Amino acid sequence: MITQTKSKLNYVDTVGFGADVGGRGFHIPVDLSIRPDGRIYAVNRSPMHRLGIRVGICDVNHGWYHEFGSDGTDDGQFVGPTAITHGPDNRVYIADEELNRITVYTPDGEFISKWGEQGSDPGQINGPAGLKFTSNGDLLVVDHLNNRIQRMTPDGKYISHFGSEGTGEGEFNLPWGIDTDSDPSGNIYIADWRNDRIQRFTSNGKFIDMYGSSGREEGKFDRPSDVAVDQDGFIYVADWGNQRVQMFDSNWNFQQSVRGEATVSPWAQEYLDANADEAEARSRFNPFIEVDTDDPHEISSRVESYLWDPTAIEIDPEGRLIITDSLRHRLQVYQRSNE
Amino acid sequence: MTTIESRTDELLIAHLLRRAGFGGTATELRDYSNLSYEDVVDKLLNAVDSTSIPQDVIRRYHIDQSDLRTRGSSSGNWLYQMVTTDAPFIEKVNLFWHRVFATGQTKLIQGKAMETHLAMLRKFGLGKFDDLLLNLSKDPAMILWLDNQDNHKASINENYGREILELFAMGVGNYTEEDVKECSRAFTGWTVENTDYMALKMRNNTMRPYGYVNWQFKFDPDDHDNGEKTFLGETGNFNGDDIIAIICKNPATAGFIARHLYHYFVADELPVPQWPHFPPINPEAIQVMSDAYFDSGYSIKAMLRALFLSDSFKSKTAWNARVKSPIELVVGTVRLAGGYDGPSSDVYNHIAASGYMGQDIYAPPSVEGWMGGADWISTGSMVMRVNFAGEIVGNLDNKGVRDLISTIKSETGNVTTPESLVRTSLANLGNLQVSDETREGLVQFASSAEDSAHPSDQDVASLLQLIVATREYQFV
Repeated sequence: MITQTKSKLNYVDTVGFGADVGGRGFHIPVDLSIRPDGRIYAVNRSPMHRLGIRVGICDVNHGWYHEFGSDGTDDGQFVGPTAITHGPDNRVYIADEELNRITVYTPDGEFISKWGEQGSDPGQINGPAGLKFTSNGDLLVVDHLNNRIQRMTPDGKYISHFGSEGTGEGEFNLPWGIDTDSDPSGNIYIADWRNDRIQRFTSNGKFIDMYGSSGREEGKFDRPSDVAVDQDGFIYVADWGNQRVQMFDSNWNFQQSVRGEATVSPWAQEYLDANADEAEARSRFNPFIEVDTDDPHEISSRVESYLWDPTAIEIDPEGRLIITDSLRHRLQVYQRSNE
Repeated sequence: MTTIESRTDELLIAHLLRRAGFGGTATELRDYSNLSYEDVVDKLLNAVDSTSIPQDVIRRYHIDQSDLRTRGSSSGNWLYQMVTTDAPFIEKVNLFWHRVFATGQTKLIQGKAMETHLAMLRKFGLGKFDDLLLNLSKDPAMILWLDNQDNHKASINENYGREILELFAMGVGNYTEEDVKECSRAFTGWTVENTDYMALKMRNNTMRPYGYVNWQFKFDPDDHDNGEKTFLGETGNFNGDDIIAIICKNPATAGFIARHLYHYFVADELPVPQWPHFPPINPEAIQVMSDAYFDSGYSIKAMLRALFLSDSFKSKTAWNARVKSPIELVVGTVRLAGGYDGPSSDVYNHIAASGYMGQDIYAPPSVEGWMGGADWISTGSMVMRVNFAGEIVGNLDNKGVRDLISTIKSETGNVTTPESLVRTSLANLGNLQVSDETREGLVQFASSAEDSAHPSDQDVASLLQLIVATREYQFV
C-alpha cells in the first residue's frame, strides 16, 4: 500500500441542473461512469417522473452530448436503474434492480444484449446495485439482496462469488457501491451499506480489512452508498446518510469530509436567464441559511448548496472526484491536493 | 394483573382499537386480551412506535420518498408509518389534526414541507395545546398555506390570524373582527427563510434549477408590529406567543377542541360552520374533556383519556356508528392483511385508492378539511371500497393473508362448521360485529363450499372477501 501525505479536497465546479422530462440535465441521478476520454454517463432513476429515466452523457466542462434509454421493460429500457459502468471495450452496462437484469449498450447507447435471472443460485441475481469491471475483463456485480458479490463474464456467465449475509468479516448487509484499486493489486472495495462500513478484498475476493462504524463524527458512517479509490490510493466514501463525502488515505487515516458547496452551473444560469422573475427573486437568495436542526437529511433539504443524497462517486481521468448529488440533480466536482 | 371480565369488555376494546387506531388485528386483540379496558386505554395513549420501516430503507428503494417532491411520495411515506407502526394511535391523532389544521400539498407543491408539518404534529399533537399552536404558527407549511409570509407590519394579511381563531382554536362567535386584526398584527414577521424566492418557487411550481428547498421558520423583527394591541379584552405589546397564551386560557378554546375530538373519535357532529348556531350533541362529554383540558394544563392526551373513559365513548350506541374514512378503510384493511414487511410499490396503489374513494391525503378539499360522515359514501366510492378491501384480503399471494387464514383455520380446528368459520373469521377481522341477517348470509355462503367441514384457503379467502363487502365493515 502507498503512504500518503495529508491531503485536502478542493471544490472545483457544479455540472448540470434538474430536468425531469428528459433533455439536457438530470433527474435523480444515482450512478455515473466516466470513459477514458472524460465523457460522463449519468443514469437517472427519476421514479415518479418516468420521462426522466434515461442516461445523460456530458463532460465536466458542461458539454452535453445526448441521452439514451427510457422507462419500460423492452430491450434497452429500464425500470429501476441503479448502476452503470463501462467495459474495456467502452460498451455500457446498466443494472436494473427491479427487472434483475444487466443491459449492454454500444458507447452511443444502442441496445446490444441483456442478461439476468432473479434468484439466489450462483449466477442468478436479486437486486443488482453496483457494477465494476476488473482489469482482466470480468464484471463484478453487487448482488445486494443476496448479500454477495458475483464475478461474471461480460455476457452474464457465472464465474464465482464471495460474501454472505451478516456482520462479520466478509459478510454484508445490503451492500451497494463498488470500486477497485487501479494498481496491479486490483483490490475490491464494497460499500457495506447497512453495516455502516467499507470492506476491502483482494482481487479474488479474500477479505483484507474493513473500516467504519455507525455515527456522525468524522470517520464514521451512516449508510455509505459508494466508494471510489484514486490512482494514489486515496479512498472516498459517499456517506449517504450523513450527506457528505469523506476522504481517507489507503490506511484509513481520515483526511477530510465535504458537505458540498454547489454553485450555479452554466445550464442552471441559462435557465435563470430565461426566467427573469426567478432570477430576480434568487438574487436575494441565501443558499447557506443557519439551520435549526441537526438531522443531516433535513439540513440538506434546506441548504441548496449542500449535497443531498450523494449516492455515487467516481474519479475522472484527471483525478477529479465527481459526486452524483442525487436529489439536487447535479454533479459536484472536487479535486484533491496535498497540503 | 387485571383481565377483561366479560365478552362486553372484549368488544369494548375492539371499539377502542377501531377509534383510537385502525382496528385491532388478530395479534393486537390477543395481546390486549389479558388487560382491562382502562389498562388498554393507557397503553394506547403512551405507546411509542417501534416497528415502522426505517426511513433509510424506504429512501433507498423509493428515492422519491427522500425528497418527497410529489404528493404520491409524501402521502405514501405517511402510509408506510400508518400501516407498519405498532403505535397506530399516534397516526390516528395525526390524521385528526390533519383534518383540523387542513394543509395541502396542492398549493404548497413540495411534500418535504408536509413531512415537516407531520413531524410537528407527531411531536406535539398529544401534548399541551399551547405548545401545539405555537409550533403550528411557526410551521412553514402552515405559514405558506395561509399566506403569513405576506402578513407585514405595514400591511397585514388576515388569513392566518383569522383561521387560528375560526378553524383551529376557538370557532366563530367567540371573537370579534377587531380581534382578528389584532391577532394578525401579532403574527407579522412570522415567515420563512428566503421568503421571496421560496414563495415564488411555490407559485411557479418549479423544481429547477436544483430541486425544492425545504422551508424553515424565520422571525423577522424588522417586519413585526411591536405596537400595543387589544385582543380578547387584554392589552399589551403582544407577539404571536402572547396571543396563543390568551387563546388557550379561554373556555371557548377548550370547548371547541373538545367538540372536534368528539366529532372525530365518537360521533359525527354537524359540519363545523354550523357549530356557532347549534349546541354540541353531547354537552356532557364536551364538559368532561374541557375539565381535563384545564386540569392538565391544556393537555390533549388528558382530554382523550377522559373521553375514552367516558360513558359517551364506551356506550354501545357509539359502536360501529361512524362511516370509516377512506384512509381508515385502506390502512385498517392492509394492516389486517399483514401490512408491509418491506418497501413495496403497493404503497402507491394503496394511497391512490384512498384518493379514489374520496380522501386524498395532503390534499384536503378546503381549509375546513374533510366533512366525513355520510359524505364518504357514494355509489362510486362504495364500489371502490368493496373492491379494494376484497382484493386485499382475497390475495393469497400475500403472506399476511395466508397467515390470517392459517390462524383462522387453526382456531376452528381440523373439522369445522360454517357457523364456527364465520365466527372465527369475524373475530380475526377486528372482532367485527354483524347483524343476524348478515351473519346468516355469511353462514349460508360458508356452507356452499365444496367441503365446508374442511374449507380450503380459497374458501376462507372468499369468505373474508364477502365479510369486507358487508355493510358493517364500512363502519368504525
